[in-house]
Amino acid sequence: MATDLRISNISKIYPGCIANDNVSLQFKSGKIYALLGENGAGKSTLVKILSGVVSPDNGEVFLNEKNLKLSSPLDAKKNKIGMVFQHFNLFETLSVFENLSIDATEDNESLRVRINEILKKYNFSIDLDVPVLNLSAGQKQKVEIIRCLLRSPKVLIMDEPTSVLTEQETEELFISLKKFCDEGILIIYITHKLKEVLSLCDEVAVMRKGKVVSVSQTQNERVETLANKMVGQKLAKIKKKINISKNKDEIFKVKHLNFYSDDPFETNLVNLNFSVKKGECLGIAGISGNGQNELFQILSGEIITPDTSIIFRNKEIAKLNPKQRREYLMAFSPEDRISQAAVPELKIYENVALNNFKSSNFFEKGLVNEKKIKEHSKKILSDFSVNTDNVELKSQFLSGGNLQKLILGRELITAPELLICYNPTWGLDVGAINYIHETLIKINDQEKSTILISTDTEELLKLSDRIAVIYKGKLSKIMPSEEVTPEKLGVLMGGGSID
Amino acid sequence: MSLDISFIGILIGSIMASSVPLILAASGELIAERSGVLNLGVEGMMIIGAISGFALMVITDNLFIAIVGSMLSGVIISLIFGFLTQSLLTNHVATGLALTIFGIGLSAMLGKNFVGIPGKEFPILFSSLKESIPFFGPILFGHSIVLYFAFALPFLTNYFLKKTKLGLVVRAVGDSPVSASNQGINVILVRYCCILYGGAMCGLAGAYLSLIYTPQWIENMTAGRGWIALALVVFATWSPIKVLIGALIFGGITILQLHMQAIGFRIPVQFLSALPYLMTIIVLVVISRDSRKIKLNTPTSLGRIFYKEK
Repeated sequence: MATDLRISNISKIYPGCIANDNVSLQFKSGKIYALLGENGAGKSTLVKILSGVVSPDNGEVFLNEKNLKLSSPLDAKKNKIGMVFQHFNLFETLSVFENLSIDATEDNESLRVRINEILKKYNFSIDLDVPVLNLSAGQKQKVEIIRCLLRSPKVLIMDEPTSVLTEQETEELFISLKKFCDEGILIIYITHKLKEVLSLCDEVAVMRKGKVVSVSQTQNERVETLANKMVGQKLAKIKKKINISKNKDEIFKVKHLNFYSDDPFETNLVNLNFSVKKGECLGIAGISGNGQNELFQILSGEIITPDTSIIFRNKEIAKLNPKQRREYLMAFSPEDRISQAAVPELKIYENVALNNFKSSNFFEKGLVNEKKIKEHSKKILSDFSVNTDNVELKSQFLSGGNLQKLILGRELITAPELLICYNPTWGLDVGAINYIHETLIKINDQEKSTILISTDTEELLKLSDRIAVIYKGKLSKIMPSEEVTPEKLGVLMGGGSID
Repeated sequence: MSLDISFIGILIGSIMASSVPLILAASGELIAERSGVLNLGVEGMMIIGAISGFALMVITDNLFIAIVGSMLSGVIISLIFGFLTQSLLTNHVATGLALTIFGIGLSAMLGKNFVGIPGKEFPILFSSLKESIPFFGPILFGHSIVLYFAFALPFLTNYFLKKTKLGLVVRAVGDSPVSASNQGINVILVRYCCILYGGAMCGLAGAYLSLIYTPQWIENMTAGRGWIALALVVFATWSPIKVLIGALIFGGITILQLHMQAIGFRIPVQFLSALPYLMTIIVLVVISRDSRKIKLNTPTSLGRIFYKEK
């Protein structure tokens, strides 16, 4: 039976932000629909409304012309609307089977039979009795999908499903989604990745600032046309000129980096060796959870590992803490802006003061030199085009992009010789990403070096001079980026080999 | 005093009796914590259970009403905690501490007129078997029904958490309330139920003290047992069976060191008195040092406030 989903005049207003402004859309089964937009465009709010997690201030949802009251996730389930969230809604400490059985109405034996049927039908291989925390992101997503399939859904909503997947896993996902579509499930695919829209979807609705700005057939669109609709302005393309720097000095050299942990949430690192030359960007690719966190913490000095040698500007620094490493002109930008790089409850200038050097004289005789810190902060705000000049503002009120600019500014204003950053553009919109990329390229142009640990392959290919892949705590061989293709990276990131 | 076999039997029997309030309170708190709620009001709920149980016994002269009433009073006082933390979203730690202070104060006030009144004898089961079988008699028989219930409780709790659907729901809520809510589970309701259940068990633990273990009302008679129960849950890494082991070790060493003091061992009394705390922690840390298991048993959302998106 054909499914017809219609949303009509949906509005949702949060304090200080209109998340959905009179949104109307129509979907029919047999097609895959894309909902495209930048972060904060209102896509997630819309899907939360469709899945009953939040209720709209205004507007209605019709499924086969029946007006749905979606006041809780149960209502969405009852009406056969399945949802795979971007941040998985799984119980990490429970086994896969327990995760799937929690809202099942049947007994465990028949549920197991049904799950195995689904596994077989779609070629999924997942051990049902291991805790979810042992699964890769791709497997976790499959668990989420199975959970939806168990309820034989009419509508399946996927929220940014590929943000944590390898190229291979993405392809597998697309094959499954097309199968679901052929079986009559209406699929709504939320993303900000333009290429995915073009390769997977039949129809695309673009959202910007809470409004639907265009609905069109994907066959009539190209990457550029969609990008302009999404951003609303022409974007300058940036491209890095590769530093062919064979004869340059090695500024940073890591030998025998090993890390062992009992913690099931951590990844062990096995004998990592690499070096970075002056003015070079070394990219480290990989799916999150393959040891990047641990690597970043070891490079920044948060974790000290025995027997590791780290040479920076001809000095052994492996035993130094982050503060001491900063004094030697290293700088760090961790992945989690809110909890690792900045303290959200503190004011901007206070966050700036956290990164203090002996030479910066932020503190005198144990007292805070507010005037000096504020001057310094103002300079960062203007030099790195953060959209405020109020240093008294609490950092939590900055958007992700502006907070990242502030953090990078704080790190870079001391002119470090090496910047190590981990997912610097994670969750940012295109404009902010562009700015950060330009900044990182500028650093290399000034003969300073960067190590870019990132899960975004496009970013790595754009910025890196050489690239290595980290998989299950092991580093692949380091390749010049002109020899690297997205496909090659995908194979390595998924644990394959390319030789 | 000779250390013959029947004396050891009696000793073990008294160790079991002394660990009952810890087992009851810790098993109740364990369920609450498994759902992600950290209720530091255990001591307060126990002492309220103790006074209301004793008062009801004096007033009605009916032990059944006294026991049920003590559990109800535990439920009522934990309802305050539930309402504050789940509906008004107050901080778990501060609210729990307030509950303990409140409970101790309230029980002292209510208990003023009950000081010095003698308790009533609580019926014991199989008393004839206790006398007739050496060694095993005093261990297995001649206890109150509450003791048998307390010793079954950790196994029932374990079965509930691992094998039943509701147990799965409780663990899921403790792991990730947001995911649970998105799956259509009523997180607040589940947590309320777990809090109230914990309150009932703490109330019963208190009544055991004032009606069975030392049948009388003394101000502040729980004497920190609620805090020990809380510590047991954490050091037992949220495993009901390990809570039982911990409670027995604590009760055992408490009784043993009293005997050692009586016999006159040449060890400072202060050290002997500290021994139960020390040994319980050491043993529990040693038996639960598997970090993987700790991760899997620890309720990830413990003590965190959950509120539903609207």
